[in-house]
Amino acid sequence: MPEPLLYLQAMGAAAIVSATIVLAMVVALAKCVALRRKAHALGELGDTTWLSFSCVVGIGVGLVVGYGMLSLRLVWPPEKGLDRFLTISVPLVLGIELIAGFQKVPRWVAWLFRMSLAATMPRLLLHGSVYLSGTTEGWPPWQAATALVVSGALLACVWSLLSWLSERSPGNSIPLALCLPILCAGLTVMMAGYIKGGVAAFPLVATLAATTIVARLITTRSVAQANFRATAIIGVGVVSMFGLLFVGHFFGRLSTSHALAMLLSPLLCWVTELPRLRHQKSWLLGSLRLVLVAIPLLFVLAAAKRDFDRKMAPLLGESPTGFRSAAVVDPC
Amino acid sequence: MRRVFSVWIMALVIGTVFCAASNSGSAADEYDYDLVHSSVSFKARHLDISWIHGRFNEVEGKFSLDRENPAKSTFQLTIKTDSVDTANKARDEHLRQPDYFDTKQFPTIEFKSTSTKPIDGGYEVTGDFTMHGKTKKIVLVLKGGKEHTFKNVKRVAFSTELSLKRSDYGFDKNAIGPIGDEALIIIDCEGMRK
Repeated sequence: MPEPLLYLQAMGAAAIVSATIVLAMVVALAKCVALRRKAHALGELGDTTWLSFSCVVGIGVGLVVGYGMLSLRLVWPPEKGLDRFLTISVPLVLGIELIAGFQKVPRWVAWLFRMSLAATMPRLLLHGSVYLSGTTEGWPPWQAATALVVSGALLACVWSLLSWLSERSPGNSIPLALCLPILCAGLTVMMAGYIKGGVAAFPLVATLAATTIVARLITTRSVAQANFRATAIIGVGVVSMFGLLFVGHFFGRLSTSHALAMLLSPLLCWVTELPRLRHQKSWLLGSLRLVLVAIPLLFVLAAAKRDFDRKMAPLLGESPTGFRSAAVVDPC
Repeated sequence: MRRVFSVWIMALVIGTVFCAASNSGSAADEYDYDLVHSSVSFKARHLDISWIHGRFNEVEGKFSLDRENPAKSTFQLTIKTDSVDTANKARDEHLRQPDYFDTKQFPTIEFKSTSTKPIDGGYEVTGDFTMHGKTKKIVLVLKGGKEHTFKNVKRVAFSTELSLKRSDYGFDKNAIGPIGDEALIIIDCEGMRK
């Protein structure tokens, strides 16, 4: 049964832990720098490597705490799609972004890692499932290959387009905008009847939002502000969103249209690159991005709630009585 | 001519001996699960005050029954989890989700015997029971075994009940909630000789 209070507690704990770790690591570095260079302010940290590193570590530890509070039992070796996502995909993207954050690592190497993960993730999540079983109930080889290639290409497109946008127009609105479809994915997957799959989204949203806000606070009024791209947070966010939607769709009952709408919604951030909007104030552009992303998500949530009321709510609420076939009972 | 005749006789004798030997080596009858006259049903507690009943509509199985040497008898059953039917479509859809049977990841529930011994009124069958990706050794007490030939088809039937805890098979404890952890599976199986 859903436990909203527990979810809020887990989100709060994950957010606090993530924020504290990022802050502590950056302050520790600042102290080291101050000792070496006799500098006295965080503003002198022009190199954002350490900040990216702190964000990745903060997200990782925050997730461990959040999932621990939710008692989300992870199994090794992972046999279920969600277990594979949480025990393999998420650590992999954290590792990739950790490596990519170092300025000595060439960009093409970082993108090679990212695209490799994008290409293999759909196959990893469907491993051992009926889809790839080769039986009559599964997909024929051509359909399996098409589904895997299209899914991987979608992930790669969303990931690269958002990273590119982050390079063109840096800001915290992109990672924050990514939190919206992840939260929406969690709620819709839960309303479709897959509670554990939906719950997995909450600590992800909390850690991503917390690290984004703390990174923003740290880089405000510092030379690092111009350099910080939040690419690591975007990478973790995109992979998390994709994983939740993929598992919710192929193992739960999340519809294709809803999953696609949520996956593609962050790309609406690109609207702010239109010539007329591009030179507006950054806070206005950031707000506009959030609103644009939120609009399709509200439609998805409304449709998911309608389906929930029609199909799932009768199982949780009052049952009808009288001579009617139990198979077709629909009190709504 | 006499030589040809004696070769034929020899071949006939040897063939008969071989056939007799092969027959005496396998006294087991092979049976297929008769879906029309069998059922795999279950019931689980609801809020710990009542029982919810359901069944699986798609089941396959086979067994070989050796009356002379029961230890050689084998039993095998495969249940398609997607065919769960609790007389409510919404609930069936819910049960197919990963919080419960996770039918896309674990499409079947299987039992395969590893040893069989005769008991009064049936057989005690030990075997591997696989559900939700977890395999555990269980003991089934099969009652029955009566034979009946109907329209030239030999039939034999068994019944058994099995109690298990869902938490032992990796079901999410958060999803156990109002539906009790313990489930009772009732199998009534009629086999048709191949």
